[in-house]
Amino acid sequence: MRLRLSQILISFSITMFLMIGFEIVTSSLLPALGWQQYRLTFNVLIILFLALKLDSPVVSWLILILQLVHSVFSIEGWALGTLAALIVVASANYLKDLLQLSSAFMTMVIVQFFQIVWFATVSLIICLKLSDLTKLSMLFWSFIPGSILLSLMAPFVFWILETIWRVPSDSGPSGVEI
Amino acid sequence: MKIVQESSKTKIVSNIIVAFIAMIGVSKKQFNLEETSLFHQLVAEIVSPVQESLTNSQKNISTFWENYLAIVNTSKENAVLKRTVSRLESDLISLEEIRKENLRLKKLLHFSDEEEHKPIMAQVVGWDSANEFKVIRLNKGSKHGIKLMSPVITDQGLVGYIFRVTESYSDVLTILDQNNRVDIVVERTRTHGIVEGVLNYKCILKYVMSRESVEVGDKLITAGVGGIYPKGIKVGMITNINRENYGMTLSIEVNPSVDFDKLEEVLVLIPGTVNKTASIEVEASK
Repeated sequence: MRLRLSQILISFSITMFLMIGFEIVTSSLLPALGWQQYRLTFNVLIILFLALKLDSPVVSWLILILQLVHSVFSIEGWALGTLAALIVVASANYLKDLLQLSSAFMTMVIVQFFQIVWFATVSLIICLKLSDLTKLSMLFWSFIPGSILLSLMAPFVFWILETIWRVPSDSGPSGVEI
Repeated sequence: MKIVQESSKTKIVSNIIVAFIAMIGVSKKQFNLEETSLFHQLVAEIVSPVQESLTNSQKNISTFWENYLAIVNTSKENAVLKRTVSRLESDLISLEEIRKENLRLKKLLHFSDEEEHKPIMAQVVGWDSANEFKVIRLNKGSKHGIKLMSPVITDQGLVGYIFRVTESYSDVLTILDQNNRVDIVVERTRTHGIVEGVLNYKCILKYVMSRESVEVGDKLITAGVGGIYPKGIKVGMITNINRENYGMTLSIEVNPSVDFDKLEEVLVLIPGTVNKTASIEVEASK
């Protein structure tokens, strides 16, 4: 199935607004309600969906734009996440026969796996830039609780995004060609 | 088949271009100071009011609950507060005497070249959405006079410094963040060290030699070195010292004096260029 350009623009705009909504919830609403220790990085979840479910040359550019918007909410910036996302895109492409996002459980497992890949890339670069690798383990333990919660939410968020992008729910990394 | 191959090639080329752009971005990335781009300014000006209104609505609900519904022990609290106020009033009188004496002594020593700071009150409207960073967003920006690298404090102590400013909003790199390093002095022993953020609302004190007699409970204040923070602002308290470390320096855990869980309002100290000599001399002559 191939999506038209107008459909891509509409779906991408809705996805971006959804991400902004999630970012506002994570950065303002949850801390105001007392949830301050761990952050739910919804941008990772949305980008994982694009990387795992869409098969197109424009995916990397869409990821870049989403990361630019994410940089408004975080000093992490756009570059680290974009690099991590491209590693996920390449890995998903390489492992496309093994990745079956057909059930909720498998979606959670695969999302958790790629969140760890993402975390390893981003944290390693941060620690290298700070010239301090000792913080890697500390960062890992603070990343785990939020990432597990995000993986549990993944089937629901993926279902919303599948509706937005009109992707069949049982499709793998080369689900929809755009 | 040919179309599929071409699409695959375009994908690889596209990924390589974006990866190249991202790598340039990574190499230029700084975590302790950031100039805002036009895109960032635009998006921040649109989304930050939403963040502010969400934070405010939560506060309004809490205020309603605390001021109207949960006032069972108010009379008891009132009596305790009255006693505290009278004690603090007497403290204030003696502190005023000390302040005047300090001004006179400063004048005598010609020790009056401190930079004046203009305080601007701001409200916390958001936190960084990534797990690795401890940054807060304030509802005041460049149009309110906020400048980059201005120190941010509360009545409890040091919060951090301004590292990114837009027209109406600014971001503060808190002392909890691993990218923020504060030059401190242990109040009791006058030992110097560097406080650095770690995760879970704790900090660590670095570069304190093993021979130093620091103890659990010692208070830390800013040293006034480095050009960002004024001298004497409370930073935190030592909560744990690992003396089993056989290195040259001690491994020290610090609890920040600011309760970041309940952070709502802060003061941004805007460094001015006014020399205080004249005002101190006038004050001292009174």
